[in-house]
Amino acid sequence: MCLGIPMQIIAIDGHRARCQTGGVEREVSLFLLQDGAIEPGDYVLVHVGYAIQKIDRAYARDVLDLVGTLLKDETRPHA
Amino acid sequence: MRRGALEMQGSAQDWLRRLHALPPRGRFRIMNVCGGHERSISHSGLRAALPEYIELIPGPGCPVCICPEEDIYTAMQMALRHPILLVCFGDLLRVPVNTSKPEPRSLEQARTAGADIRAIASPLEAHAIARRHPDKTVVFFAAGFETTMAPVAAMIAENLPANLLLLISGRLTWPAVAMLLAAGGAAFDALVAPGHVATIMGSEQWRFVAERHGLPTAVAGFSAESLLAAFYATLQQAAEHTARLDNCYPELVNIHGNLTAQRLLRQVFDVSDSHWRGIGVIPRSGFSLNEQYRHLDAEQHFPIDEQARRRAGEMPPGCDCAAVVLGRIYPDACRLYGKACTPQQPVGPCMVSDEGACRIWWRGGVRATQARGRT
Repeated sequence: MCLGIPMQIIAIDGHRARCQTGGVEREVSLFLLQDGAIEPGDYVLVHVGYAIQKIDRAYARDVLDLVGTLLKDETRPHA
Repeated sequence: MRRGALEMQGSAQDWLRRLHALPPRGRFRIMNVCGGHERSISHSGLRAALPEYIELIPGPGCPVCICPEEDIYTAMQMALRHPILLVCFGDLLRVPVNTSKPEPRSLEQARTAGADIRAIASPLEAHAIARRHPDKTVVFFAAGFETTMAPVAAMIAENLPANLLLLISGRLTWPAVAMLLAAGGAAFDALVAPGHVATIMGSEQWRFVAERHGLPTAVAGFSAESLLAAFYATLQQAAEHTARLDNCYPELVNIHGNLTAQRLLRQVFDVSDSHWRGIGVIPRSGFSLNEQYRHLDAEQHFPIDEQARRRAGEMPPGCDCAAVVLGRIYPDACRLYGKACTPQQPVGPCMVSDEGACRIWWRGGVRATQARGRT
């Protein structure tokens, strides 16, 4: 449950954001980051649909590689 | 420490070289308390790559595995007996509970028996389902550690549909480690602290392991590089005859964590003594809805079968999940592992959840007793 997925913010509407990663788009809540500055183009670490921390672009790429290889092993979605 | 993906590969090699260059010492047992760590260790084959004297022990890192039978049974009964729509994380659906033969033994079987139970991957989906079914009472059965309960707190605090209620089975990670250490004779020599729990709660939460109990401690992320850096950090501390808290996941983790998330957790939940399946009550280890939000507790709206309350803490007969969760034995030391208990026909929760050590080891190809002995 604790693996997060880095996503890039495309658009923000209140506390909700459209985010994408690897061509997949998702709605993500920014409610847990409401006290910090955040804007489209930023990368965030998303856990169960909520951004839990802002991350830098290079690090996001590293984690996406890792998550990609882990998910390839797994046949079903997990929370 | 900044690097791209390719350098990261090399860097993992560097860490391995440095680990192998350390002067060998006696058996050194490093516990992790995060299913994500265990998955990454297993996936990257880190156990086989490390010097022989280093043992990696999966500890209490799976919230589904320790979710009390009584909570799962309550959720099943609620969904079977009342006209509600129950949603929960998919991992929970197949966790077996002890029931008499004709009764459903899992949420999945309760669904087959006619209950409306749906798997979700996010609190946002619980919210959306409640909005789509305004005529129904939707109950969100939420189990998880801090990383999951902070989003659940956010969902509750933000704006909950009137027809959405909650069954909360959230747990805090550090009290389980505190319990293992307080019991004396800890079965590990160092701790790798969970990176995303620390992202939310701050690395400081783990300082007690080093300062109060004298065990080398390092926060790790989920890449092989970050994990190896953390192993190296704890070994270096041991070599220096010291114990401190190192942060090997500075990309995400700072001392204080996500203060907004912590404020929301405090706003919504009380922290109380709570049951861990197969383990018992751990002081101040569980989240429960506080006074202000208690009216959202599904148990207040739907009567609870008293039977459920008697189920506290039980594991299935013959199942060693509790010993696995506590890091006392490796998964393949359980008599049922790979025999009576497989991912297709799980007996215990550790073989069900993606975060469960038994399932991770099975997926990693461990089929017979291969691990070095433990005491």
